[in-house]
Amino acid sequence: MSAVIKRVLLTLLLLQLSSLAVFAAIRLSGGDVTAARLPASATAEDRELFREQIGLNQPILTQYVDYLGNVVRGDLGNSLTNNARISTLAVEKIRNSLILGGAAIVLVFGIGIPLGMLAAFRRNSWLDTSISSAAVAGMAVPNFWLALLVVWLFSSTLGWFPPAGSGGFRYLVLPALVLAAEGIALTVRMTRSAMLENVGQDFVRTLRAAGLSESRVYFKHVLRNSLLPIISLAGLRVGQIIGYALVVETIFGWPGVGQILVNGVLRRDYPIVQFFSLLLVLVVTLGNLAASVGYTLANPRLRK
Amino acid sequence: MTAPLLEISDLSVGLRAGGVAYDIVRNVNLTVDQNEILAIVGESGCGKSLTALSILQLQASPPLHITGGSVVYGGSDLVKKSKKEMRAIRGSEIAMIFQDPMSALDPMFTVGSVLVSAVRAHQDVTRDVAEKIALEALADAGIEDPRRRFAEYPFQLSGGVSQRAMIALALVNSPKLIIADEPTTALDVTVQAQILDRLRALKNERGMSIMLITHNLGVVASVADRMAVMYAGEVVEMGAVSDVFAKPQHPYTTGLLGAVPRLGAGEADLVPIPGRVPQPDELPAGCSFADRCSRVVDSCRTTRPEISVRGRAEVRCFNPVS
Repeated sequence: MSAVIKRVLLTLLLLQLSSLAVFAAIRLSGGDVTAARLPASATAEDRELFREQIGLNQPILTQYVDYLGNVVRGDLGNSLTNNARISTLAVEKIRNSLILGGAAIVLVFGIGIPLGMLAAFRRNSWLDTSISSAAVAGMAVPNFWLALLVVWLFSSTLGWFPPAGSGGFRYLVLPALVLAAEGIALTVRMTRSAMLENVGQDFVRTLRAAGLSESRVYFKHVLRNSLLPIISLAGLRVGQIIGYALVVETIFGWPGVGQILVNGVLRRDYPIVQFFSLLLVLVVTLGNLAASVGYTLANPRLRK
Repeated sequence: MTAPLLEISDLSVGLRAGGVAYDIVRNVNLTVDQNEILAIVGESGCGKSLTALSILQLQASPPLHITGGSVVYGGSDLVKKSKKEMRAIRGSEIAMIFQDPMSALDPMFTVGSVLVSAVRAHQDVTRDVAEKIALEALADAGIEDPRRRFAEYPFQLSGGVSQRAMIALALVNSPKLIIADEPTTALDVTVQAQILDRLRALKNERGMSIMLITHNLGVVASVADRMAVMYAGEVVEMGAVSDVFAKPQHPYTTGLLGAVPRLGAGEADLVPIPGRVPQPDELPAGCSFADRCSRVVDSCRTTRPEISVRGRAEVRCFNPVS
């Protein structure tokens, strides 16, 4: 129990420190906050007035304390760009990002683990060589380039999927695939090497000697032992997907957290950047927490 | 005299990989009779474990392959069996117990679930029936509280209990032969004795046979009926335990027995064998023991001796101890 409390407190501390870092970084990074809201014809006085309205003339520490106070009271503030309430914006953006990110996570493990298993089961065959080479390519290719490639192939050339936007399932396929690509590649390689390592363990020989079928030995016992390292690094995969979501959502015009965050940074929309950055920190932390809980549940030594 | 349960004839097992080709087990002849314990003795690396593994074709293949000979069980040659046929034999006809029970059991599964899988790999029974068979096997292996151990993971078991769980896994499909590869090496001396007692009792209760692989001559003397001594991949002497201990004929067997410390004997009475075992890729043309042998004659250097009956044992030597 004390471990849980400790973890919660650490998470709160992490959020606090991250909020300070984000708060300071966006203010120190230069750029003109008024450009987003005021027309190009606005005078210097207008711009100064706007800065005063949103409290930018205060010392940065005072601003930070005010901001924290508002957050604690549940007031996340409004977008500087269009004055929309962030709490309202957030619901839709989070929903869209969860759909895309969730689809990517499903692909990472749903494709990565079976392909890795197959490569290990048929090691040194043409199948293994193809899967392993594709995995190396998947790690090497930058996702923005992969995005352009799949749009060219599946949208422009074949016309199977729309190139960008959001709507039904058809809009989800390409961005989810691009977002998951590197995670799939890493999971394939990890699964393959964990399977090959475990297949050399003594217990595998014992199970074979007991007359268990090769597929049962592989797909039940070796797999179960190989899942531990994959689960323990699942938190890392979540973090990676969140990082890539910024790029992928922007390229595919997917109206999620990544897209609004990138636009927020470009327009120096401070409240947007502050809220959505912290949200990502929180999700990465929860992802790691889920991974360590999963690891504990999957490992009989820790469960008992 | 009835036919032997298992008859290994002229078995060779070798390494074949990327231009490397040499045999590690060479022309081994062994028989295991019904209801007997055959011990295979030798130093580490002499090929005794590999011989045992190749009976069930569990050698790491590639790079290890059976390069000649036959392993006849139940009237047919196991070397010629398909993978599927071998799987049907493993565990149900011939079972195996391994050396280090801690690493030989799957850490992620309970003892019971592995036993149930093993039962259902060979018998078409429901889960409940399989569980019952598994619990009986645990009790037969000498486990005090089978129901509790059934639900436990390997890390919760002591070394002795793990090894009993391994024995239960070997017993669970009532095989006729159990191959036990150094079953007591990793255990405390007191536990060793209990495990050996259990194996001997099982042989008597169930009328089965055991091939016991060990480097411990004390173990051989206390439980085995017959013994085969292996050196550098060959069987150099085979006979009844009492005969071989009383009158060892091969100079290596003599050396092996001389190298066993005895209570009350002085340090001078402990005679080590000079030199070292030749590696399988640098074997001499003649007898593999010639370089270390005190009774070496000219033909030992040029010709490899065949194994032949001499007195009440079989010996592979030109100039045996009389």
